[in-house]
Amino acid sequence: MERRATVSERKIDERVIEACQRGDREAFRLLFETYQDKVYSISLYYFKGDETSAKDITQQVFLKLMTKIEQFRRDAEFTTWLYRLVVNACMDEQRRHRRFLPFGDGFEMTGHGDKRTQEDRYASVEIADSVKSAIGELKPKLRLPILLKYVEGLSYDEMAEVLNCSKGTIASRLNRGHKILARRLAHLRGALPVR
Amino acid sequence: MFSQHVSRKLSAYCHNELPVEESRLVAEHLIGCQRCRREFEEVKLGIQFAEQLPTTSAPASLWSEMEAALNGRSTAAESARKTSGLAHVFRWWPVAAACAVLLLALVAGTIWYSARRPASPTQTVEKERTQPSETNPGPAQESNPAVAQTTTQNSPAVPGDKPHTGQVVNNNNPKPSESGVGASGQTWEVARLAGAPKLGDNRLEGNGRLAVGEWLETDATSRAKINVADIGQVDIGPNSRVRLLGTRSTEHRLALDRGRLHAMISAPPRLFIVETPSATAIDLGCSYTLEVDDAGRSRLQVTSGWVALVLKGRESIVPAGAVCVTQPGKGPGTPYFDDASQSFRDALTKLDFQNGGAKALNVVLAEAREYDTLTLWHLLARVRGAERGRVYDRLAALIAPPKGVTREGVLKLDKGMLDRWKKGLEWAWFE
Repeated sequence: MERRATVSERKIDERVIEACQRGDREAFRLLFETYQDKVYSISLYYFKGDETSAKDITQQVFLKLMTKIEQFRRDAEFTTWLYRLVVNACMDEQRRHRRFLPFGDGFEMTGHGDKRTQEDRYASVEIADSVKSAIGELKPKLRLPILLKYVEGLSYDEMAEVLNCSKGTIASRLNRGHKILARRLAHLRGALPVR
Repeated sequence: MFSQHVSRKLSAYCHNELPVEESRLVAEHLIGCQRCRREFEEVKLGIQFAEQLPTTSAPASLWSEMEAALNGRSTAAESARKTSGLAHVFRWWPVAAACAVLLLALVAGTIWYSARRPASPTQTVEKERTQPSETNPGPAQESNPAVAQTTTQNSPAVPGDKPHTGQVVNNNNPKPSESGVGASGQTWEVARLAGAPKLGDNRLEGNGRLAVGEWLETDATSRAKINVADIGQVDIGPNSRVRLLGTRSTEHRLALDRGRLHAMISAPPRLFIVETPSATAIDLGCSYTLEVDDAGRSRLQVTSGWVALVLKGRESIVPAGAVCVTQPGKGPGTPYFDDASQSFRDALTKLDFQNGGAKALNVVLAEAREYDTLTLWHLLARVRGAERGRVYDRLAALIAPPKGVTREGVLKLDKGMLDRWKKGLEWAWFE
């Protein structure tokens, strides 16, 4: 299965968290580098391609993380806490500005293999842009589980914890989100990579 | 036997999030059920598209900016710590010394007063009167026993029984057996949340009961909570005025004259109704916020479920995430989702309340997204002639009408067809 929404295999272990709690700047940098792209991507897609908002949110999240990490309890999953910070920051920002953001056209694409033909790359860029656009059009309640699932690869249980709702609600929102994406993007079905 | 459709479980099934046995049952069902198989294909396609979402790299400058911010914070925090530390030292001693002197003076004064004052029969009475007990609820009621009795029983059902202006209603633990009218379901329990709300003519301290016909009023600093029989709660915001119009098992009706309320109702649809000067909000199982300004205009924002806003045959159905405004004499406007752009909202206001125009309609049609079919579906009946045709075309382009729903029928506002199309659109509106 080809999957371009990659999930980081690098795990931040307890030692890194402990070092962050002691104020070790290098440990914090490691943590930042591990998660920055995920946090940035979720914020970027949540705000329909607005890079300024995505950057602000990413900074806010990591600054909050840095200042509050002393209070982090080891019995909680670190990523759950991190993505809860991201979700809250996105929702707060949206509440503050209530803005309507059209998609920009300057998306940086990553993850293209060199072996792909030029044609494949064009098709892939077209699909990725259409997917981003279609996800941006989803209502926030449907958008967030999709982003957490496909940018970070969280499980239903983890998403339920991050979004503070039941696993059933997550399943139902993803179901609706998937159906809407299928209907909106049906015309691109032929351009999907063969599975 | 596993005969129920499995459409709600399809994403979880595709993501291997179902227990093994349930997953097996879904697979078996899919073999025999064509409808669920169609949906399965749709969900799978949606998943395939979602999987194309790339991770975007954060800007390279982010860490250096973060580091600068962190350094700035450290410096600021350090100097704040130093300042507050010194301030702490300098402030603490005078305050502590003053407290110690005051305490000593108080103790000495009390000893001196007790030693000098002869015991007298009235001393015992004073002592008893200043200690509230079950039979003596406290000074506020003590000053007027008649009022105390009235307010404790919470029964201002008959105008003559109401406590006088300026009196205090304070019943922190109303018991049904003591509550008179409340026991028969004719009053709603009200709790003060902040400030001093007025219940009828009286200031509310703690809890009280709102009787049919009675007003509850808050000023800029007060808030109150109403328990709506046993079906939910309504929070009354500052500067609000509400009146209980009626309460019985088949209908609970409140009037919001001005201000803001937030209702959380867990009852079957159409049991809880709020009247405003410009429309009536009928709960269809939901929670929502309703605001009314001094001109009688209202704004409804639904947070879960559905609410219907009606006035003289004009009805707007407002689902979770959507907003609807109303104006006196004109009734409910067209509902829209709360993330719609300002230009979309402005155009809609023109269409609803300022005689519309092709320009406004152009904006709405151009900006409409899939879930804005909520707005377009309502507009069908609110515009005429060629404009209705344009709305139909845009709506059909966003989400095609179901079988049997024709352009001709919709343009004639065939109720059956409109209802069928609405059913077909709800998936896009639903929270």
